[in-house]
Amino acid sequence: MSVKTDDIFIVGAARTEFGRFDGEDNELAERAVRGALADCGLTWSDIELAVGGTNGETKPDNLVSRLGLTGLPFVTVKNGCATGGVALMTARNGLIAENLDIACVVGYDNHARGAFNASPARYGLGDWYGATGMMVTTSYFALKIARYLHEHGIDQRTLGYASAKAFDYAQEHPYAWRRKPVSVDEAMDADMINDPLTRYMFCSPDAGAVSLVLARGSRAFDLCETPIRLASVALRGRRPGSFEVFSPWLSPGNRTSPSIDAAKAAFELAGITPADVQVAQLQDTDSGAEVIHLGETGLVAHGDQEAAYRNGEFDIDGRLPVNTDGGLLANGEPVGASGLRQVHEIVRQLQGRADGKQVPGAPRVGFTHVYGAPGISACSVLINEGAQP
Amino acid sequence: MSIPTSIEVVDATLFTSVDPVILAGSACAVCGAHVFPPIESCPTCSSLDVETVALPTEGTVWSWTTQHFAPKPPFRTDEFTPFSIGYVDLGLVIVQGWLVGKTQWAIGERVNLVLAKAWTNESDTVFTFGFEAVT
Ligand SMILES: [Zn+2]
Repeated sequence: MSVKTDDIFIVGAARTEFGRFDGEDNELAERAVRGALADCGLTWSDIELAVGGTNGETKPDNLVSRLGLTGLPFVTVKNGCATGGVALMTARNGLIAENLDIACVVGYDNHARGAFNASPARYGLGDWYGATGMMVTTSYFALKIARYLHEHGIDQRTLGYASAKAFDYAQEHPYAWRRKPVSVDEAMDADMINDPLTRYMFCSPDAGAVSLVLARGSRAFDLCETPIRLASVALRGRRPGSFEVFSPWLSPGNRTSPSIDAAKAAFELAGITPADVQVAQLQDTDSGAEVIHLGETGLVAHGDQEAAYRNGEFDIDGRLPVNTDGGLLANGEPVGASGLRQVHEIVRQLQGRADGKQVPGAPRVGFTHVYGAPGISACSVLINEGAQP
Repeated sequence: MSIPTSIEVVDATLFTSVDPVILAGSACAVCGAHVFPPIESCPTCSSLDVETVALPTEGTVWSWTTQHFAPKPPFRTDEFTPFSIGYVDLGLVIVQGWLVGKTQWAIGERVNLVLAKAWTNESDTVFTFGFEAVT
């Protein structure tokens, strides 16, 4: 390929283990940043722009007190589950708009155990909504997948396949949190949390950090043996007809989704189609979310998911390996880090140095998708362009 | 003249009438969108020309789940038992609410609006809205 100077590449990537963490949030973040810098042989003083995301109380821009007071501009983003995707987009756009060469992205969180405890007022809802038990994320996921399974004639057992696949990938991934295999039957027979979702079909909040170093095309090949081109990144919000968390009402008629819109935009910007994708990362906050997002991103036709799982299409040697690090189900969700974890995994797969199971056949094209409250999605296309001639 | 009833509800703005129970929504004069509960502006077309209307009291189950664990506060209850939540298609709008009377449902099932006991406040019972199966 001929590298264009406006092309943006990922040249360094690092993550921490995900799970429970007793230390400071910033300590995790620092570890990830130093790992990403080491991955491409740079130091903090080489970074011209930084973007940090967390859903917690710490200030990402204060990481400079640990990393070095170099005077660089440090942008903070906070977009719930989509934080990682937004951070990546912000860094990419900043490099292009300000004609810079090198940026660092970091996402981290260190959550207390248990389901997120949401406050009605933060979502513009009355106290009644929380008091009557409507404001529960697990019931939202259940209501959404129950409707989706019904509309597309998909068997409930598909949810068990999704869970079993996640834990199967995770058992070989050194940074995943839950690495104990779970069979389809075990997933289906576990305690029911919210029909049709059982205990093994939800991810939990936990701790972790991920960092990436981005570089312009003119620098990328000096810094990294196999830089991965960020071919596109697109962010979209909800339109009427979407089904979002904490919604006292939905509009009838055609269903829309920010994931559909963001994926479509990311594919168009990159000049590829979903059929070109060889390894993908999808937001699997619960098993049902993975099933829905396979359809909404266009990677699988709505209703074909059940057969595709059964036929092993999403396994490491299948047509389209999905969530090869175990996804959110096995990594948990440190909200600020989760989207960048996806990008980290795709970068490593495309570079042929996966931390866990490696997709065979030197995949070239990868895709990532995050989705979260209050109805936003960010998708990216990543391409290994091969050696520069 | 009927004796005025004083039924305590979780939030009076959710209702145009408590006895008989009728939910309040907003209807947009510009695009016709209906939402629940009533709000000041239309989320579909951003018009400020919205009025409070009474919503239909019968519909069908659009989706459902049963809550098998007690939610954290601010959830309130006298004593937790698993309960069902659903989205009910009222035609003009799909409304989220309790599904009362049982814990296993089918999408498409016909339901109608009722008052359901939410919790006890000192000596008073506080009600919310729910939907029960049409028998
Ligand atoms: Zn309107």
